[in-house]
Amino acid sequence: MTNNSKDILKIENIEVMYDSVISALHDVSLSVPRGKIVALLGGNGAGKSTTLKAISTMLASERGKVTKGKIIYDGTSVTNQNPTEMVGLGMVQVLEGRRCFGHLTVEENIITGAYSRKLTNSEMKDELDKIYSYFNRLKDRRKSQAGFTSGGEQQMLAVARAMMAKPKMLLLDEPSMGLAPQLVSEIFKIVKDLNEKEGVSILLAEQNTNIALKNSDYGYIIETGNVKLHGTAEKLLNNDEVKELYLGISKQGRKNFRDALRDEVNHKKENKFSKTN
Amino acid sequence: MTELLFFVEVVVAGLLAGTMYSLVALGFVLIYKASSTFNFAQGAMVFFAVLAFVGFMELGLPFFLAFIVTILLMGLVGFCTERLVLKPLMNQSEDTLLMATIGLGFVLEGLAQAAWGVEVRRLDLGIGDFPIQWIIDTFGLFVSALDLTAGLVAASLILGLSILFKYTKMGLGLRAVADDPGAASSIGIPLNNIMLLVWTAAGVVALVAGMMWGARAGVQFALVDLALKALPVLIIGGFSSIPGAIVGGLIIGATEKVLEVYIGPYFGGAIEGWAPYVLAIFFLLYRPEGLFGEKIIRRV
Repeated sequence: MTNNSKDILKIENIEVMYDSVISALHDVSLSVPRGKIVALLGGNGAGKSTTLKAISTMLASERGKVTKGKIIYDGTSVTNQNPTEMVGLGMVQVLEGRRCFGHLTVEENIITGAYSRKLTNSEMKDELDKIYSYFNRLKDRRKSQAGFTSGGEQQMLAVARAMMAKPKMLLLDEPSMGLAPQLVSEIFKIVKDLNEKEGVSILLAEQNTNIALKNSDYGYIIETGNVKLHGTAEKLLNNDEVKELYLGISKQGRKNFRDALRDEVNHKKENKFSKTN
Repeated sequence: MTELLFFVEVVVAGLLAGTMYSLVALGFVLIYKASSTFNFAQGAMVFFAVLAFVGFMELGLPFFLAFIVTILLMGLVGFCTERLVLKPLMNQSEDTLLMATIGLGFVLEGLAQAAWGVEVRRLDLGIGDFPIQWIIDTFGLFVSALDLTAGLVAASLILGLSILFKYTKMGLGLRAVADDPGAASSIGIPLNNIMLLVWTAAGVVALVAGMMWGARAGVQFALVDLALKALPVLIIGGFSSIPGAIVGGLIIGATEKVLEVYIGPYFGGAIEGWAPYVLAIFFLLYRPEGLFGEKIIRRV
C-alpha cells in the first residue's frame, strides 16, 4: 500500500461487536477514492454510525471493537490508534447530532478544531477567515454562545470546527438530521464546495438518500450490518429497488407514506364492513 | 458606634475565613469542570498534600524546596489517578466515577498516614493567627494576619486559574472537554493530557488550602472533613464556576459568622456548623445551578 494509492480509505470485510456480544456490523467493505464524496446510506440501526466510528476509532469509547477485517486509511492500518492520533493523520469525524461546545462561543468552537495544530496568531486568523468564507452565517454569529444558535448553525459549526484540523478525510454523520430542507441543501452545498476547493475526501452517512446521492460520487447502501447495494450515485438514483425502498417512488409513480397509510386504512374499513354485514 | 464596628469586624473575619472555604471549593470546581463529577477525594488530597509538605519539612528540606517537591508529588498523584482510575473508567457513567473518587479518597488517606504517621503536626508558616497591629491602629478592627494571607493567596490563585482557562490553548481545551468530552476527542483534543493538567492543578490547590488550614488548626486527619464544608459553598456558587467558588466561600464565611454571633445565642450557639447547609438547601430549592453555575442551556 502506498500513500498515493487511488483510495484514501479502504475497508475490507469488517465485523464490529459492542460489549463483545452485540454484533453491529457483519461484513462491510467499502472504499473511498481520494478527493471524492461517498455516501453511506441506510435506515436507523443499519450500521452507518458504527462504520464511521470504526474508521475514526471512536468505537472504543462506546465499548465497541472491530473483531474481523481491516481498515486501511491513507496507507496506514487502523487498529489501536485513538481519535487524537487519527486527527493527527488527517481524519476527522463530525459526530451525529452536531455536538458543539454549548458554553463556548461560536469562534471558540471553531478554534478548538485547530487544537491538534500548532498555529501562530496570524496563521490562526488566516484559517478563521478562510473558514468564514465558506460559512458566512457563522461569521455573523461568532460572538454568540454556541448553545443558543440554531440547529442549522450548529451543524455548520460542527463541520467548520472539523475543517480547522485541516483534514484529508472527513467523516460526516447525518448532517441533515432534524434540519429544514432548505438548510439541508445549504449544508450540502458547503460540503460539496469544501470537497472541490479543499480537496477533502468525504464519507457521508445519511438517511436522506435523495440529497445524499445527488451530492455524492458513489454510494453504498447498508442494511442490518451488511452492504446490500453499491454503485455510482447516478446508478443508485435510477435503481428500481432504491427508488422504491429509499426514495419512496414506486413503478406506478410517487408513493409516499400518507398515501400508503390511506390505502391501508381504506382496506381495513372495507374488511370491517364486510364482516359486520 | 462600637456596635457597628463590631459588626464590621465579624463580617470581615467571616469573609476572610470564607476565602479558606473557597480554596477548598476551588479544587472541586476544577475537577467538576473536566469530569462532571464531585471529587470526594478532594478532602483527602488536601490532607495528603499538606501532610507530605510537613513531612518533607521534617526531613530537613527548606520551605520553598518542600513546596516544590510536594507540587511534583501532587503531579504524580494526578498522573496515577489519570492512568489507574480515570482511564479504565472512561466513558462509564458519572456515578461510577463518583464512587471511584470515594475509593481514591480512602487510598490517599491511607497512603498519607502510612507514610507519615497519624499524629497531629504543627505547621508554622511564619504567619501568626493573631490581629495585625497596623489595622487595629488605623481602622480599629481586629483582623487576623493568617486570614488576610489566606485571602490574598486565594485571590491570586483565582486570578491565575481564570487567566489559564480563559486565554490559553490548554484552557480552551479544558472548557471544550468540560462541555462534551466525546466531541472534544473527535477533533483531536487529548483527553488524558487535559485530565492530567486538571488533577495536578487540583492537587496544587489542595496543597495551598491544606497549608492555610493546617497553619490554623494543625495538620491532622480532620482536614479530610473540610470537603463537607465545601459542599454548601459549591451549591451556592455553582459547581462549575471558579468565581462562584470564591463568592460562595465568602457568602458562607460571612453568614455563618454573623448568624453565629447574632442569632446563635437563641439556639444555644454553635449554629456555625449547620447554618451553611440550611442556606444551601434554600439555594437548591430556588436556584439549583448556583449563583455563577453554568446555566443549563435549553433552546426552545
